Amino acid sequence: MSEKEKSAGADSDPSLEWAKLWQTMAESSNRMVEAWSGSMAPFMLARLSEKPVGFGDGNELSAAIERMAQGPRVADAWDIDRKMALVFGAWIEMRQRLASYNAVAATPWAEASKRFFETVSAAGTSETPAPDWRAAFAKWSEISNEELIRNQRTDGFLQAQKELLQAGLQLRSRQDDVAEAASTMFGLPTRKDFDDVTRQLTELRREVRALARQARDRKIEGAQ
Amino acid sequence: MSDQENQASRFARDMAANAEKMFKATQLIANTRDEDVNIGTTPKHLVVRRDKVELFHYEPMAAATAKTPVLLAYGLIGRYTMADLQPDRSLVRSLLSKGLDLWLIDWGQPSRTERWLTIDDYVDDYIDAAVDRMAQETGHDKVTLLGICEGGVFTTCYAALHPEKVKNLVITITPIDFHADVKDKAAHHGFLNVWTRSLDPEDIDKLVDTYGVLPGEFMSSVFSMMTPMRSLTKYNVDLIDVVDDEAKFMNFLRMEKWLADRPHHPGEAAKQWLKELYQENRLVDGSFVLSGRQVDLKSITAPVLNVFALDDHIIPPDCSRALGAKIGSTDYTEIPLPGGHVGLFVSSKSQGKLSQSIADWLVARDTKPESEV
Repeated sequence: MSEKEKSAGADSDPSLEWAKLWQTMAESSNRMVEAWSGSMAPFMLARLSEKPVGFGDGNELSAAIERMAQGPRVADAWDIDRKMALVFGAWIEMRQRLASYNAVAATPWAEASKRFFETVSAAGTSETPAPDWRAAFAKWSEISNEELIRNQRTDGFLQAQKELLQAGLQLRSRQDDVAEAASTMFGLPTRKDFDDVTRQLTELRREVRALARQARDRKIEGAQ
Repeated sequence: MSDQENQASRFARDMAANAEKMFKATQLIANTRDEDVNIGTTPKHLVVRRDKVELFHYEPMAAATAKTPVLLAYGLIGRYTMADLQPDRSLVRSLLSKGLDLWLIDWGQPSRTERWLTIDDYVDDYIDAAVDRMAQETGHDKVTLLGICEGGVFTTCYAALHPEKVKNLVITITPIDFHADVKDKAAHHGFLNVWTRSLDPEDIDKLVDTYGVLPGEFMSSVFSMMTPMRSLTKYNVDLIDVVDDEAKFMNFLRMEKWLADRPHHPGEAAKQWLKELYQENRLVDGSFVLSGRQVDLKSITAPVLNVFALDDHIIPPDCSRALGAKIGSTDYTEIPLPGGHVGLFVSSKSQGKLSQSIADWLVARDTKPESEV
């Protein structure tokens, strides 16, 4: 059998097809990833379409960007470009972590499909008729839930998820640096300014309320 | 016709019927407006607002059976409307109909503005101010606290730090020992504990420092992961199941509305929640400090009712059970109920059991003189 035929044979294996279908569904419903990567994606995709060369070897590209961006600063120029480059590097890193996470998260679908098809085949003998779609779906749901939960508790999954979170936060933090620089450039208050103000407000409110409580307690003591 | 042909034709028929139902579901959703899906509708009035936090008093629905006012406190993850999802599935309505005087503290919708608020502020400022206001309005010098989930942790801390103001403490689905999940053999229980412990404390700091909050959407995605297949099938298979029954369809939409209304968790309070409690387990070992004071669970001397769900995948039962051995009160009751974290409040099966247990327990203590409890 040729390689092509072998591959076609594997693709027509119902359990593999089934696993692939559910894996795709799971990936497409990954809202967490969308939330982390969505905001800068259009911009980055546009940059990539301008300079597609080198995108394949992501590690090298992101390392080169890091080296460039972490180089010596000059006082009056290129700071925003440096920040943009850092965002780009973080975005590439996040995509790689996402790919690693998806690979780990996809593992249980194959096992779930295998178990499911074994169960269905065993049920569909001449003595026991095959279950209707609802019973079959309930069984599929039960098996895949077990496999997905088992996978979630493995060190590999937890590590991949943690690294994705770290990469997502790094990207967001670098996006914020760009936003801060742009705000400063146009004379607008930054997010850091806002955090400083709310911190002062919160602390001031605590002091005022503590004084109010002291005054109330003294009044009560005086009355007694 | 052969068996195989029969099966194929049955499958084709079922799929055609399902496609029809999905089409119907799409039409129903398109024709339903958000304002038609009402939750948290039990009548109440605003008593006082403090920053974004509001104290409400529910309108009575029956003659009083227990005079001590009850303050309902939900956590900062999700909203109190879970306890008042719809008239026939409402802990709030059920307690009112049993003659309790019910008040509510609603944390509102925290944003980055609330970044610096800590659990100290929630316990020693907002809850304390609400308790004082209730005392002023009702003439009682003590109130009953009814905490749900993280709100149960807040009320437990309050009862330990201000025992002179607490008549009874009722907690539901509340974690006390955040590491007790390891005792739970059910694989689908306690992923939140495992996940939080897998993070470095610096990851939590970075998450909060970056967003200024613990984003509601982020917590939603973690909760979705805990029931993976349910999360993947609720907008298809689940919809097929409810589409022919308008009442069930509206229940589905109400639940979705509650799930979608997940506020951000104030940042510094989230650091305490995830690091000091979930990771370091400080509440149970007595090293949790609020407003410069150690939260000593032995200081809880009021009667305590601890209700938890036996199939709670978010707060495994052993995490809640831990309270009994830690408090100073001799009047301690545990009620394990069947069901899950949310199902305890909203499922048709559990309706009545939870509210009846709480009301009976409170009424029995309300009529007793303090020396007997």
